[in-house]
Amino acid sequence: MFVPSITHPVGDFIREWVPKLSAYLPEQLQSQTLDSIAAFLINALLCVIAVCAVNIGSAPILIYMERKVCAHVQCRLGPMRLGWHGTLQTIADVIKMLFKEVYSPSGADKLMFYVAPMIVLIAPFIIAALIPFDHNLIVADIDMGIPMIIAVNGFGVLGILLGGWSSNNKYSLLGALRSGAQMISYEISFAMILLFVVMISGSTSLMDIAQAQDGTVLDWFIFKIPLLGFIAFILFFISSTAEMNRAPFDIAEAEQELTGGYHTEYNGTPFAMFYLAEYIALVTNSALAATCFLGGFHAPCIGVEAIDTYLQMVPGVVWLFAKIYFMIWCYMMVRWTFVRPRVDQLMDFEWKFLLPVNLVLLAAGAVWMIFVG
Amino acid sequence: MLATLSNLIPQNVAFPTGGMDLAFYVVTFIILVTAVCTVAVKNILQSAVFLIFSFVATAILYLLLHAEFTALAQVMVYVGGVVIFVVFTILLTSRLGEDAFAVKIPRIFAAFALSIIFVLVMVKCLLPIEGLSNGVVAAPEGYASLKAFALRLLGYGEDGLVIPFEVVSILLLMTLICAITIARKGKEEEEK
Repeated sequence: MFVPSITHPVGDFIREWVPKLSAYLPEQLQSQTLDSIAAFLINALLCVIAVCAVNIGSAPILIYMERKVCAHVQCRLGPMRLGWHGTLQTIADVIKMLFKEVYSPSGADKLMFYVAPMIVLIAPFIIAALIPFDHNLIVADIDMGIPMIIAVNGFGVLGILLGGWSSNNKYSLLGALRSGAQMISYEISFAMILLFVVMISGSTSLMDIAQAQDGTVLDWFIFKIPLLGFIAFILFFISSTAEMNRAPFDIAEAEQELTGGYHTEYNGTPFAMFYLAEYIALVTNSALAATCFLGGFHAPCIGVEAIDTYLQMVPGVVWLFAKIYFMIWCYMMVRWTFVRPRVDQLMDFEWKFLLPVNLVLLAAGAVWMIFVG
Repeated sequence: MLATLSNLIPQNVAFPTGGMDLAFYVVTFIILVTAVCTVAVKNILQSAVFLIFSFVATAILYLLLHAEFTALAQVMVYVGGVVIFVVFTILLTSRLGEDAFAVKIPRIFAAFALSIIFVLVMVKCLLPIEGLSNGVVAAPEGYASLKAFALRLLGYGEDGLVIPFEVVSILLLMTLICAITIARKGKEEEEK
């Protein structure tokens, strides 16, 4: 009987230990099939727990961080009362949100109304499973990581469109249409930059991309190609900000014009799911930026052996999370610093500036690969 | 216990015994249910959503056949592109679903007749194929992987497909230019 199994060092470790443990079971229950099924289930459970821990665990931290960064930019203190420096505030908010009554507006399409937040959550969870956190810490080390990311990004647009339409509210519908148009447009340059990374690394697997940046800081893709890498990084930063619907590109929500956009009518758990998807997207996009440009889980070695040995003693997970949180801090600072462009300015920026620059960058990268790389 | 259960099934009958077979039947069931929902649901937006789930299930079917890139292309093109635009068009139409069309009996009869003829033709064509249920995989290892796929697509050797690829890209360029020409404002319009 065929039982699917994923070859992986951590999985191999479990596959090795399950038969040893099952030897203690009664005689009738021992069989190779049962062992392999049990090992597969344990591995799958570990993968699910890992993805959920990274995603759901980081959301309260990010909300607290966003409040503090925002307060810092605006010369305020932020949450201070609940717990040490307001650390318990987000947990209290999460509990409040989960205990709220869930209801839909009258005349809303009930099925679509409740399915939409679930669809939005698909993409961030799948992308989180593809990120390599260390040499062996990856849930799905698939060959086509980058095409997978581009493919599942479409679900985010779908969820927002459905949520906006099914709310039976004109502000929601307008917000959904705006954000759908924005996300579809910026997806193109997002995919183009990932294509640039694929071209440099010669692989679509995120693990191979991270491994290709082994060495000193100068081997990271942001510095490996002089100037082009840095431009690509900036373009990735801009297009991923728009892709996530975060300020300054948050015309989808635009409180002043649209009273919150596509999630105006949502409350309680469905609203929490939209919120969660937004913050998980922040984590996954930062992790993607860190993996594609900032060396992934590699330590920032500088070429001096005495220092590098100490830097490499720190596990790769810690380095990756340090890079992720640095990227998140950058996204947050940008959010609270820049003003929001108009809708037409935003679309002009994508189609008349970002896309041509991307195409030129792609051609220049190809030339660099032929003559230097 | 599992061994005794699988012994009950005669060996020469093609019946779902492995995980892959079971997965195939589950995915096919999902495709059928969502496809029926697509045409049966009254609300046109809901039918678009069921269409998306049907496409995703088809992509999973491709994954089961080890055609990973085809599966991802299916999701990319249909879910990320085509159906999103369909949904967009539906959202921009006013008075959605108010005049749900009534199906008249002659149409039902015609549909039944057509589908029965289709099933008969499929059975007639598919059953004589040898090794349909128990054939071995003929493709070499990694035939559908992205690297081999791309090398075949852009190769100029005997099995290369670079000329059709270029022809299709010219077609794509033409459509892009046409779209820009249509969407572009005229000079008089800009001055207003």
